[in-house]
Amino acid sequence: MRYTRSAAVAISATAALALVTGCGSGGTSDAGSSGSGSSGEKVDLTLWLPTQEDSQKAGLETLVSDFEAANPDITVKYEERSVDDHKTALRQVAGTDAGPDIYWYWEGPGLGGELVNAGMSLDLTKYYDQYGWSDRFSDAALAGITQYGQHDGIPWTLQGEAIYYNKTLFAKAGITGTPTSYDELVADADKLVAAGITPIQFGGTVNWHVMRLLDSLIETECGSTVADALNTTQKGWDSEPCVTDAFTALKTWGEKYINQGFMGISNDDSSQLFYTGQAAMALEGTWFDANLTDNGVNPDDIGIFAFPTGTGRLYGFGEAYYVNATSKHPDEAAKFLDFITSTAEQEKVVGAWAAMSPNVDVAPATGNPLHELWPPIFKAATGLYINNDQNLSLDQTTEYWRIQNSVLTGDIAPADAGAEFQKFIDANS
Amino acid sequence: MATVAAPAAVARRVPPAPRRRKPRDWPGVGLWIALAVSALIWATPFVFMFLTSVKSKADVSQLPTWNLPTVWEWGNYADAVDTGNLWVTGGNSLMISVIKVPLGLLLSAAAAFALGRLRFRRHKLVLALFAVGSMVPIQIGLGPLFNTMYSLNLLDSRWGLILPYLAFGIPYQIFMLYGFFRAIPDELEESARIDGASTFRIFWQICLPLARPALAALFILDFVATWNEYAMATTLLQSQANWTIPLAVQSFNTQHATDYGALNAFIIMSAVPVLIVYLMFQRYFVQGAFAGAVKG
Amino acid sequence: MTTTTPPVARRDARRADPPRPRAKRSPFVRALPYLVPAGLLYGYFLVYPMIDAVRLSFYDWSGFRTEPQVWVGLRNYVRAFTADPVFWTAFKNSLIWVVLSLAIPMMLSLLLALGLNRKLLGRNLFRSVFYLPAVFASITVAAMWRWIYNPTLGAVNQGLKAIGLESWTHQWLGDPKIALYSVFVAAIWQSVGFNMVLFLAGLQQVPVELVEAARIDGAHGLQIFRNVTLPALRPTFVVVVILTIINSLKVFDLVVGMTGGGPAQSTQVLALWSWTQSFQNHTFGQGSAVATVLLIISLALVVPYLAWALRGEDH
Repeated sequence: MRYTRSAAVAISATAALALVTGCGSGGTSDAGSSGSGSSGEKVDLTLWLPTQEDSQKAGLETLVSDFEAANPDITVKYEERSVDDHKTALRQVAGTDAGPDIYWYWEGPGLGGELVNAGMSLDLTKYYDQYGWSDRFSDAALAGITQYGQHDGIPWTLQGEAIYYNKTLFAKAGITGTPTSYDELVADADKLVAAGITPIQFGGTVNWHVMRLLDSLIETECGSTVADALNTTQKGWDSEPCVTDAFTALKTWGEKYINQGFMGISNDDSSQLFYTGQAAMALEGTWFDANLTDNGVNPDDIGIFAFPTGTGRLYGFGEAYYVNATSKHPDEAAKFLDFITSTAEQEKVVGAWAAMSPNVDVAPATGNPLHELWPPIFKAATGLYINNDQNLSLDQTTEYWRIQNSVLTGDIAPADAGAEFQKFIDANS
Repeated sequence: MATVAAPAAVARRVPPAPRRRKPRDWPGVGLWIALAVSALIWATPFVFMFLTSVKSKADVSQLPTWNLPTVWEWGNYADAVDTGNLWVTGGNSLMISVIKVPLGLLLSAAAAFALGRLRFRRHKLVLALFAVGSMVPIQIGLGPLFNTMYSLNLLDSRWGLILPYLAFGIPYQIFMLYGFFRAIPDELEESARIDGASTFRIFWQICLPLARPALAALFILDFVATWNEYAMATTLLQSQANWTIPLAVQSFNTQHATDYGALNAFIIMSAVPVLIVYLMFQRYFVQGAFAGAVKG
Repeated sequence: MTTTTPPVARRDARRADPPRPRAKRSPFVRALPYLVPAGLLYGYFLVYPMIDAVRLSFYDWSGFRTEPQVWVGLRNYVRAFTADPVFWTAFKNSLIWVVLSLAIPMMLSLLLALGLNRKLLGRNLFRSVFYLPAVFASITVAAMWRWIYNPTLGAVNQGLKAIGLESWTHQWLGDPKIALYSVFVAAIWQSVGFNMVLFLAGLQQVPVELVEAARIDGAHGLQIFRNVTLPALRPTFVVVVILTIINSLKVFDLVVGMTGGGPAQSTQVLALWSWTQSFQNHTFGQGSAVATVLLIISLALVVPYLAWALRGEDH
């Protein structure tokens, strides 16, 4: 699988970006609700997804209850788990029939790709033809779906990740504009420290949270070409000097700019610092719009800027709904997926998960003022760089996190970090 | 002669030191104070747990842990029932424990009886083979166990959890009960046999009743262990409808920003059944419990 | 129990024999029906998975049922010992855990048992307080203590601040140098009660007459303890030691719940690392190799004990 990764990432990243910048073809199919349950038999569909915020849950409830109303013989049960439990649970049930009928997952090769490789994802080509989905979703969105050679799932969101900042705290520290280069970002962080404000919050117990910073620093220090080579071919960690620079920068952030005690708390706990105005920045994704408003943060007080990597690329990834290959009700599952991405339904829930609907006929959401901050960021981006837990294999990811955390706790010198990682990759390939 | 029976349960206690002595037993007072202080330290986490369980989110983040809440937020308990899905997860745990514990004890007692009373050649080797199982960490077999349950089509089901629970409980119980059955005087069995009692009657009407203290103690231990088991449950159960209490606790921590009030409320409520069982059987605990293992 | 009152024995001739009833069928055949249910469950759901874990340790397998298991010989072991950056940390932590558990909670529980073996005001209350943590699930104990250790809101750091020891505050679970010991404190809190009960049970076996005699001879408390109580407690000690070792090697829930093995895998232990490799990294071969190492360690510690326990049984 690994040899196809580089290509896959490149395709999905650029193509997915095109989705949100709005060059999808305007298909008009709305296969929507057809109340004809073919047989009188009762069917239970199970759907697994990570923990939903309140507004997302409301959206999901809408979709499910509308679907059940239109299809009285199908019941949809959904189960939520924390991000890590969700990954573990799906990996455990891959290839068994203990799994759900439909699962929500990240598209990248290290996550979605791995389950596709394990044969867990049902090829939906038949349903793409049946429901005309190829017209509903843009070619760009479909790139993430077809990157493994079949139709794996249906596109649900494209998440961008950037820095959310608290305008009041920035003003208090005397920062006037948003940083346009990495050096300016560091300078701003220094100003915040000088003003007695914690510059940025992370929760270290969930390793993927701090990873966002490390990924961005690698993109910053190495540039997009080298970063892609590192992340997708898993070569050069020991020879590229920029790796050491990135780890050195990471250590500096840990020592000077991240909330004290971050290694001992989770991202949920650390996010509280941002909600309550105790930290000035958060490196989060599009979903954070909903978190902020759900937690009573005044959206006018919040701004967003892309991590100034200098490469022009935006941090982000795609998410999709997949049908389990062992599902006994693939037809009903496809019917559900068709229903929830139909124009009528998407218009009801657009904005709950991301500002942009995967359905090209649905206008971007306007409900949450924060959503409006995203389109310019997407438009300005020249491509995507993907979270490394979606690039690396599972054991590599575990090791990547260990090295990242060891650098932060001082147990591995930044200069040794890259070599240590390469050693692991070589020994375990 | 029947009273000789309860073999190791005979509670001989070191008599209390003071026996019509001088008025004050100063070392005793010192000891009492030391114990009281230790007990206080031991109880502190519980106090914190309770205080947190009745605090609002605002109080949790603003008041020191040991302060009384400004508002007694009993609603946390209702929230906890909701978030932890207490009736479902508690029901699952209860069902599993109620089936597993008595059944497991019965099976273990039968095997221990065979090993301890029906002494066949190499019975010690068989006992050793069983006993080894009580002493290896369960995590070793989790991966293959997952495969086994899958091939039996019992993955993600409560029965699929009960079977391995039985298997993992059996060795320790056999080991304990073996000592108990061994200690039953041979004459007792002899005379019953001469009386024409079948092997089953000897097991059911003589040996089992005599082992009652040990069974009671093992019942508590096993109930607590089953109720609290986490590693196997998290590996074998996937859908929330089948979750047991410990899985619900774990899910609590990771949903949204941890709601510490509700979390602590849930922990308290989740321990109620084990506390009840413990209190019910407590008196057997020190007495008979471990006498079988702690061979004197 | 009264049902056993023996009627007049009819076959006195046989009574002289060692009391081993000789039925027509061999004892083994009679024992079989009692052994089989437990034996089957035990064999199928415990022994077989253990053996299968050993087998898997020689294979490379992703754990996905759709992918094949590939024989790789000893490679997983070589990897674990030479190329796995976490294995030795986990190994060392497991050993530290065993040693510390033998030293601290065991001594504490012995002291408590000795104290609570006397008649005291509120003795039962004391016993219950010390035992109470043992009835809570480890995973809930972990949740509770994670809250106590919370760097900003937790009781420990707040308490230190309140008494002016702000410089003593730590990231109890976030600092790799102390995280393992922070978790261990929770383990002490939870495990002392159980061992205390074992020691209390053992103390019931101390011969009263000897204690009395020693006292009449004018021996003082420490002498009585050393010469009478301690020797009588020896079997209890063996049981407690072996249970402590086993439980230390098994430790899993507390670490999962408090640190998940972090920060930077500094609190990994063998049991959790095996599980993590199998179920999170999906390298079942690697996970099984670690499990096999754990199995060998356990057996090496346990088999001598069993041999001793069973040999000594018929003196």
